[in-house]
Amino acid sequence: MKTIVAVKNATKNYALGKVTVPALRGVDLEVAEGEFLSIAGPSGSGKTTLLNLIGCVDTPTSGIVEVAGKDTRKLSERELTNLRLNTIGFIFQSFNLVQVLSVFQNVELPLLLQKKLNGAQRAERVEALLKRVGLGEHIRHRPSELSGGQRQRVAIARALVTRPQLVLADEPTANLDSVTGQNILDLMKELNQTEKTTFIFSTHDARVMSHASSVVRLADGKFVDRLSGAEAIAAGVNRKAPTAGVS
Amino acid sequence: MEGRFATFGIIAKIAFRNLFASRLKTMIVGGIILGGALLVVVVGSFVDSVVAGMRRSIVGSVAGDIQVYSAQSKDPLEVMGGFSLEAPDLASLDDFAKVKQVLEGVPNVKSVVPMGINGAIVPSGNTIDVALAHLRELVRRKLSGKATADDLAAYDAEKGHVHQILSVLQGDIKNARQLQDEKALSPEDAAAVNKAISPAFWADFDKNPLDSLEFLENKIAPQAIDADMLFLRYVGTDPAAFAHAFDRMKIVDGTTIPEGKRGFLFSKFVYEDQVKLKTARRLDKIRTARNERGEKIATDAELKRFVRENSNQVREIMLQLDAPKTALFRDKLQKQMGSSEADVAKLLSSFFQTDDANFDERYAFFYKELAPSLELYRIRIGDTLTIKAFTRSGYVQSVNVPVYGTFDFTGLEKSPQAGALNLMDMVSFRDLYGFLTAERAKEIGELKKEMNAREISRDNAEAELFGTKEEIAKPEPAPGAPATVALAAGKHGRAKGKGAGDAVKPTGRTIVAEATPGLNPPPGEGLGAKLAREELVKRVYDPAQLESGAVLNAAVILKDESKIPQTIAAINAAGKQAGLPLKAITWQEASGFIGQMVVAFQAVLLVLVLIIFLVALVIISNALVMATLQRVQEIGTLRAVGAQRRFILAMLVLEGLVVAAVFGGAGVVLGAVIVKIVGKVGIPAPNDVSYFFFSGPRLHLTLGTGNLVAALFIVFVVSGLSSLYPAWLAMRVNPRTAMQAEEG
Repeated sequence: MKTIVAVKNATKNYALGKVTVPALRGVDLEVAEGEFLSIAGPSGSGKTTLLNLIGCVDTPTSGIVEVAGKDTRKLSERELTNLRLNTIGFIFQSFNLVQVLSVFQNVELPLLLQKKLNGAQRAERVEALLKRVGLGEHIRHRPSELSGGQRQRVAIARALVTRPQLVLADEPTANLDSVTGQNILDLMKELNQTEKTTFIFSTHDARVMSHASSVVRLADGKFVDRLSGAEAIAAGVNRKAPTAGVS
Repeated sequence: MEGRFATFGIIAKIAFRNLFASRLKTMIVGGIILGGALLVVVVGSFVDSVVAGMRRSIVGSVAGDIQVYSAQSKDPLEVMGGFSLEAPDLASLDDFAKVKQVLEGVPNVKSVVPMGINGAIVPSGNTIDVALAHLRELVRRKLSGKATADDLAAYDAEKGHVHQILSVLQGDIKNARQLQDEKALSPEDAAAVNKAISPAFWADFDKNPLDSLEFLENKIAPQAIDADMLFLRYVGTDPAAFAHAFDRMKIVDGTTIPEGKRGFLFSKFVYEDQVKLKTARRLDKIRTARNERGEKIATDAELKRFVRENSNQVREIMLQLDAPKTALFRDKLQKQMGSSEADVAKLLSSFFQTDDANFDERYAFFYKELAPSLELYRIRIGDTLTIKAFTRSGYVQSVNVPVYGTFDFTGLEKSPQAGALNLMDMVSFRDLYGFLTAERAKEIGELKKEMNAREISRDNAEAELFGTKEEIAKPEPAPGAPATVALAAGKHGRAKGKGAGDAVKPTGRTIVAEATPGLNPPPGEGLGAKLAREELVKRVYDPAQLESGAVLNAAVILKDESKIPQTIAAINAAGKQAGLPLKAITWQEASGFIGQMVVAFQAVLLVLVLIIFLVALVIISNALVMATLQRVQEIGTLRAVGAQRRFILAMLVLEGLVVAAVFGGAGVVLGAVIVKIVGKVGIPAPNDVSYFFFSGPRLHLTLGTGNLVAALFIVFVVSGLSSLYPAWLAMRVNPRTAMQAEEG
């Protein structure tokens, strides 16, 4: 399998006033295309920092982060933005939809930024995708008119509309009830399997992890181990990682 | 291309939706922009209209589009200035004909009017002097036995008039005693008045009229100081050319100065304001304030003051009343007031105690019943005015000019500024200013010939006048030796020698001093001089004299008034080419302080706009920063999903532009509507001074496209500038922000 993400000895330090806080301390990770990978770890373990580096919204202090074969440290701000636009899809914990746009417009937005498709092509793709996530009836609605699950479906549709090689999801089910969270996870899994899209998501939910093809565990900014989903459940990740404060 | 449109569409959609989503911010920012745009349009139009009005007033009343004067002048020319007695020190343009020829050779010049502006103090007469002179004439006729019955009746009436004046004086002394220390008052003056008013004095008057008159003339007349000095500013010009060039000028009373005649035209404003009986003038002012400005005596402090002054200052009227008029006034006022009061002064005082209820009735009564018996104007049309002015060299020169009439400028009738200048023929002006006119030169030439005078140079003057040292050293001049006394020749060739009272016979060596402009033979006060002046009044001058002589400045009227700077350059160049020291200045510069007010108005507007928009800039910028901070996550999300920084910038700038366009446009339209409405109705001039600024009784605002464009331009610039900082902040929002819901 081809590697879509390669993280080599990546560190990331944040400056808090005069103090430098290390968020990642030399993490190595390889993600193959089509994986459904979960990043787990307690609060402050560096899950979101690792996702930020992989998502090209941040660059490592040292080490290498390669996404789709490109070393992110060598890319300009504009090139990073283009990489995000064309290669990566984002699903946020708080959905992060543009409130003033309709469901259709929110999903269409990345296509507009790409400027690759004409109006009809965009409409066709957006509508098909919204039907696929079960929102065919809601394309003219505003986000405020939808439930939490529906909003996350819109976010998933937005993340997938450009047919990215990689989708990053930061705690995608954290703000959803268990049934809705399960549905979302099923949808992501289905898309992973049908579209062969790589998914990397952070979670602390054992049920979510059970769907993962592999689970990467972090602690104190360091790589701990990499298990299969079943191994992770067996290893009692959920027990070891307290629910509270884990994201 | 389609993608670009779609992107712009989505940016526009996000921008519009955001504007609606944060209505409060939009309303605050929009409100400020709307207000600012409206203000620029309305205030800009107001200032432009005032400036245009002032321009019309200044250009149309005396300045013309351009003023030309000598570049050798020490002071700058000020045709509208002159609140001081001192006129600017201007060098003359000696040959107006040549100046005119050069100016008319400049393509854009329509007409040229010769000018000179100066001021003089004119005494307006003393009532008792006039009354005593009249009485003396009647006494003379009576004594000569040639008095008619009418003369005798007039004699008695004039005696009554003088008696009336004495009563007023006695009252004055009584009042003065209440105000001043007894010692400060001359007991002799009071005694003289008491003596003059006594029945014994008048009983003796018929027996000994000349002595009595002398007593009155010497002891009483000096006490009656009611003569006012008029300070008149006048422009010497060619009246016909002036009227032609300034077509708003119209004759109100009398006629214009006939061609070739010396004469004076009062500005109607000056005539009303300074020459008219003060009581009548105040009544007119009250009436205007009530009728035209809706003011009330009860509430307006100035009108109250006018009423108080009219009621307290009846002396000016009382001095005009002789016995029959006193009786007539008593009778009329008693009936009108329903009073049995016998004292006319008290009746007048209570008559002038007007209020809003009785004012109109009393105003009508005054003009219908009382005014016909009064001299309403101290100088009447047809009178001859003796104007004394200081020439440039400091000598007093006087000229008698008949008053032909009054004039004003249409729309500026009530403006003190437009009405400040009176009009005089250029020839008389030159006399008063001290130019050596052709008439004077001829007169002096004849005198020199008659006196066998010769000119001497300044260097030899002492030797010529007093002899050389050697000659002076001689104890006795040789008999028959030429006199060594020089002098400035008097009008009749009489001259005084070096010793007081030594009459010197005219000799072959009598000398006339170097004829310097302004050093013409002193006019003298004798009968001969008076006759000479009167003869001068009647004399008709050759209109060519107007053209050929000296002027101080010239008003230039243009064909295309928008080309003032180009024409000024052309005039200055033409002057240089012709060897004339011409200096051309704009109407604005020539109008001095008043012209500078145009600049001041515009500067105030500019500062006001700057301050308002600076404040607006800060408020708008703050509001946008707040709005941006609230949208950090949205902006971060857009950045995370692939929006470039310029997309964010475009989004925020578009928001700013939409607000600027919508609200700025609304402000401009609203402002334009207000200007149109106010322009149609007109803003009434709140006082007389405003007539000048409004160039008429109402200011009709005109909508200039310049103001509309300026308002939109300023609005867009301010919106753009105020969006800069928030846009910069937004562009710096890190896409990581989108992930920062909760740290994991």
